[in-house]
Amino acid sequence: MTLFDVVFSGNDTVYGLTENAINDAIAQYGEDKAIAFPDTAYSLPCYYGVTGTKVGNLGELKAALGVVKTLMTREKRLNDVFMSGVATALCAEFIEVLKYMDGAAPYEAPCYGHLGDAIIRELGVPLVTGDIPGVAVILGAAPTPEEGVALVKSYQAQGILVTLVGDIIDQCAQMGYKTGANVRVIPLGKDVTSVIHVVSVAVRAALIFGNIKPGDAAGLMEYTFKRVPAFVNALGKLNPVVVACGAGAIALGFPVVTNDVETAAAVNIKVPKSLIVQPDVEKFNATSLEARDIKIKITKIDIPVAFASAFEGEIIRRGDMQIEFDGSRVDCFELVHMKEATEIEDHKIEVIGPDIDEFPVGSKQSIAYIVEVAGKSMQSDFEPVFERKFHSYLNCVEGMMHTGQRDMIRIRVSKDTFNAGFRLKHLGEVLYARVKSEFAAVVDKCQVTIYTNAEECTKLRHEVAIPAFDKRDERLNTLTDESVDVYYSCIMCQAFSPSHVCVVTPERLGLCGAVSWLDAKATNELDPQGPCQIITKEKVIDERIGEYEDVNEAVRKFSQGALDDVSLYSIIEKPMTSCGCFECICGIEPLSNGVCIANREYAGMTPIGMTFPELASMTGGGVQTPGFMGHGKHFIASKKFMKAEGGIERIVWMPKDLKEQVKDRLNATAKELYGIDNFTDMIGDETVAEDPETLLAFLQEKNHPALSMEPMM
Amino acid sequence: MPFTAKSGKFNAKINAVEVGTGDKKITIGGENVLPFYTFDDAIANAPKVGIEITDGGLDNEPDCIKKYYEGCTSVVDMAKKAASFEGVDFLSIRLEGGDPNGQNKSTEELIALLKEVAEAVDLPLAVCGCKNVEKDAELLDKASQALEGRNAMIMAAKEDNYKTIGASAGLAYKQIVGAESAVDINLAKQLNVLLTQLGVNGQSVVMNVGTATAGYGFEYVVSTMDRVKAAALSQSDATLQMPIVTPVASEVWAVKESVASEADMPEWGDQEERGIDMEIETAAAVLVSGSNAVILRHPESVKAISKMIKELV
Repeated sequence: MTLFDVVFSGNDTVYGLTENAINDAIAQYGEDKAIAFPDTAYSLPCYYGVTGTKVGNLGELKAALGVVKTLMTREKRLNDVFMSGVATALCAEFIEVLKYMDGAAPYEAPCYGHLGDAIIRELGVPLVTGDIPGVAVILGAAPTPEEGVALVKSYQAQGILVTLVGDIIDQCAQMGYKTGANVRVIPLGKDVTSVIHVVSVAVRAALIFGNIKPGDAAGLMEYTFKRVPAFVNALGKLNPVVVACGAGAIALGFPVVTNDVETAAAVNIKVPKSLIVQPDVEKFNATSLEARDIKIKITKIDIPVAFASAFEGEIIRRGDMQIEFDGSRVDCFELVHMKEATEIEDHKIEVIGPDIDEFPVGSKQSIAYIVEVAGKSMQSDFEPVFERKFHSYLNCVEGMMHTGQRDMIRIRVSKDTFNAGFRLKHLGEVLYARVKSEFAAVVDKCQVTIYTNAEECTKLRHEVAIPAFDKRDERLNTLTDESVDVYYSCIMCQAFSPSHVCVVTPERLGLCGAVSWLDAKATNELDPQGPCQIITKEKVIDERIGEYEDVNEAVRKFSQGALDDVSLYSIIEKPMTSCGCFECICGIEPLSNGVCIANREYAGMTPIGMTFPELASMTGGGVQTPGFMGHGKHFIASKKFMKAEGGIERIVWMPKDLKEQVKDRLNATAKELYGIDNFTDMIGDETVAEDPETLLAFLQEKNHPALSMEPMM
Repeated sequence: MPFTAKSGKFNAKINAVEVGTGDKKITIGGENVLPFYTFDDAIANAPKVGIEITDGGLDNEPDCIKKYYEGCTSVVDMAKKAASFEGVDFLSIRLEGGDPNGQNKSTEELIALLKEVAEAVDLPLAVCGCKNVEKDAELLDKASQALEGRNAMIMAAKEDNYKTIGASAGLAYKQIVGAESAVDINLAKQLNVLLTQLGVNGQSVVMNVGTATAGYGFEYVVSTMDRVKAAALSQSDATLQMPIVTPVASEVWAVKESVASEADMPEWGDQEERGIDMEIETAAAVLVSGSNAVILRHPESVKAISKMIKELV
C-alpha cells in the first residue's frame, strides 16, 4: 500500500461512517432537526472556517457532506492527500456534532469533547503571547503508561498545552496523573474523531485572533501554519483513519511524529518536516519541538546565587576569592561557535576537567569555554556579538567577576558564591540561559562545554580559539564599504536627538563607538522593527564623498524629513550629523590646513580654540555643521576617514592618550595609503601645542603632509 | 500683490476611532489638519475630555476634589457623579490599587469593581492600569474580557506587555487598544507596528505617547507630539496616524505644585486654584500639540478645557 492508498481508504472509511450516521439521524429525526455545538458562535467551526457556510440542521449537514465529497479527489498527488485529510477532519466534525443532538452531554470527566468559545479566548491570549509556546496533540497509546505520562509531563513542564485523544487518556488515568484545563492537559475523547475538537480550537483561533474571514480556506491554513504552533504525536500502530486524520493535520501545518516504524516503512511515507518517524518515544518532545520550530522561553537561570545587573560592578578581592582563571598568566579563552543544528544537543552543559572544588583555594587556573549555537537565522557574523555579551552575563552573577575578552579573560569566583554551591556547570547555565533568551530570534539550540585541564586549554587555545579569532579579524579587515551590499541606520539616540540618523558602514562605525556594522546587522536580525534598519546603496550620486540616493532617502525617512542628504566620507560637504554621544569630535584647523580630533575624556584646550564640550555644543543635536564631525575612536584609522578631503593625512593634532590608543592602527593605515612610517609622530598633541601657531611650527618641523595639500576650503 | 492664503490641509488624516457604544459613543481623531487649524479645514471631531476616578475612591482624591463628590459612598457612586459633570465625554477608571509595590489589590477584586462601575454608567470607558507591566498584563487582559461589548479604551499596552494586552483587548475582545510609549516617536511607531503585526487592527489603536506635567521636561512631550503629527499628516505615515489620548491627571496630581498645601507653601497661594491651573495648562498644551483626547481629574479643569475646545473648534 502506498501513502495515497492508506489516506484515501482511511478517508473513505470515515466518509462512509459519516454518511450512514447522518442518514440514520435524518431517518430518526427528520431534516429540520437542529444541530449545534454548545457555547460557540461559529456553528461547526471547522466546516464554517473552511467554507464560510453555517450548518444549523441535519438537512444542511447532509448538503455539507456533499461539499466534503468534492474535496475527496483521487489523483495521486500530494495535494489530494492533504485535501482528503481535510475531508476526513470535516467528517469527524460531523460525527461529533451528531453526538451533541438534543443538548446531549456526550463526554464525561475526564474528557472534555467540544471546547467553548470562552476557553479559546482565554487560551488564545497566552498562545498569541507565546506564554503557551505550543499545542501538543497526543493520540493513541504509548508503549507503556509510564512513557505516556512522561511524555505528557515533559510538555507540561515547558508550558505547552497538551490535548489527549484515545488510549493515552486511560494511560494517564491508570497512573493517577492529574489532567484538566487548569493544568493545561486536556483529554478530549476516546474516539479518534474527537481530535477534531482541538482542530476546532485552532480554526476558531484563526477566526478570532487572525481576523480570518470564514470561507478563506487558504488564509485559514496559512494562519494555522504560521501562528498556531500545534503538532501531533501519533503513538502506537497507525491505521488508515489515523493516517488520514494526520494528513489533515499536515494540511493545517501541524507536523505529525509517529513511532510506528513498520507502517511508515511499509507505505514508504515521505513528507519532509511534516511526517517524522521517531521510534524512541522519549525523544518525541525534542523531535516535535524542532519540527514545529517551537522555542521554550527561559525565565529562570538555574544557579544557586542571584543573577542581576546590580552585581555587575562587583569587585572580588584576592582574599575573598575561591579561585581565579587568568588568561594573562595561563591559557584561557571564551568562544562562540556556530554549528549545524544536528551537531548540537540543546542545553547540554559539559565540564571536562576538574571542577572548582578540586582546585586549591585561591589558586590560578586555566579555563576555556566554548558556546556552540545553531539556528536557522544564525550567521557566523553574530559570534563576536554574542561573545562580547559574556562579560556582562558573567558579571551579573553574584560573587563572580569577569574582565577582558577572547583569550585575555580573567574570572574570579568568590568564596561565598562557591560555598553557596556554585560550580562550573552553573557558569554554563548562565551562558546558556542568557544566549537562548537574549538571542532567541536567531539561536534555536545551544550547548556549552567547559574545559579546565591546563594542557587541554593550551591545545584548544592554539588549535581552535586563536585560528577562530584570526579568521574573524581577517573578516573585519576585509570588510569594506565596497564589499557589502547594504548599510544600516541607527536611530537609537533619537529620543534626545530627534533628527539624527547614523549611517553605519563597515568602515564607519556609529559615532558612539558602540555600534559597528556587524552589531547593527545583528540588531536588525534580532529586532526587525528596532533602531537598525537596512539601507541599500545601489544608487551612487558621488563616489568621492560617498553620497547615495538610497542613503539620502533613508536619512530623510528616519529623520522625519529633517535631513535631506548626507555624505559618508566628507567633513565639509553634507557631513553626517551627530546626536551627542560621539566618542570624538574632529574639526578643521585652518592655519595648518588640517583637522584636530578631541576625545570625550580630554579636558584641555585644542588648537581650534575650543574644548571638547565647546566643540560638542557645535557638533551635536542632529544638525549638519560643515567642518565638524562626531565619530567613534575606531573610525580614526579607517581608510574612509574624511576620504573626500584627503583622508587621515589631514590629522594634525589629537590628545596624547587618544594617540596612544589609535597609534598602531593609524600608523598601519598611513603606511598602506601614503607609505608614511610612524605617522603618529608627526601629529601634535597637548604636550606640543594647544594653540595653532605653535602647532604649525611643530608640523613644519615634522614636515607634516597636510601642509602641502590642497586647501580644504 | 494680494496675499492668497494657502490651505494647510493634508491628504492624509488621523484615524477616526469610535469609543463606546450607543448614544454616548464618541469619535476620536479623524482630522486632516494640524491641531485646531480650523482655518485650514474643518476639524472632523473635536478633541474629547475624559474624567478620571480610581479604585481607591474618595480616599484617593485630593481634598480639593473630594467636595465635588460629596455624598458618594462608593467608587460606583463617584462614577455616576463624575459622568454628570459638565463637559465630560468619557469616564476613565485607573486601577492603581493593583500595583504590587502599593496596595497590591487582587485582579479579581479590581475587575469586580470595574464591572460595577461599567454597569452604572453608559458613557464610553477607558481603563487605565497600575503602571506595573506584569500586573497590567493580567489586569487589562481581564478588564478587556469584563468589558466585552463596551468598545472601551484599554490603557495601555507597552513594549513589555503588548502581546498579552494586544491579543486580549485587540483580538479576543475587540476593545480599543491603547499603545503607550515613553516620549519617543520611534518607540511609539515601533509599538504600533508590533501591535499591527500581532494582528490588531490599526484602526482600533489609540496612542499614549507619554506626557509630563507642564514644566517637567515638557518640551520633550511637545516635540514628540509635534513630530508624530507631522509624520502622520505630512509624510502620510500610517503607523503614526493613530489618535493620541493623553492621561494628564495622573501626572499633574502627583507633582508638588499641584498638591502641596497652602500651609506648607504660603507663597504659592491657594492649593485648589494651583492644582486646577496646572491641570488646565498641561491639558491645553498637549491638546495644541496634537492630543485628540485628554483625561483629567478636577471637574473645574474638565469644564474649562471642554469650553476651550468648544471655542476653538
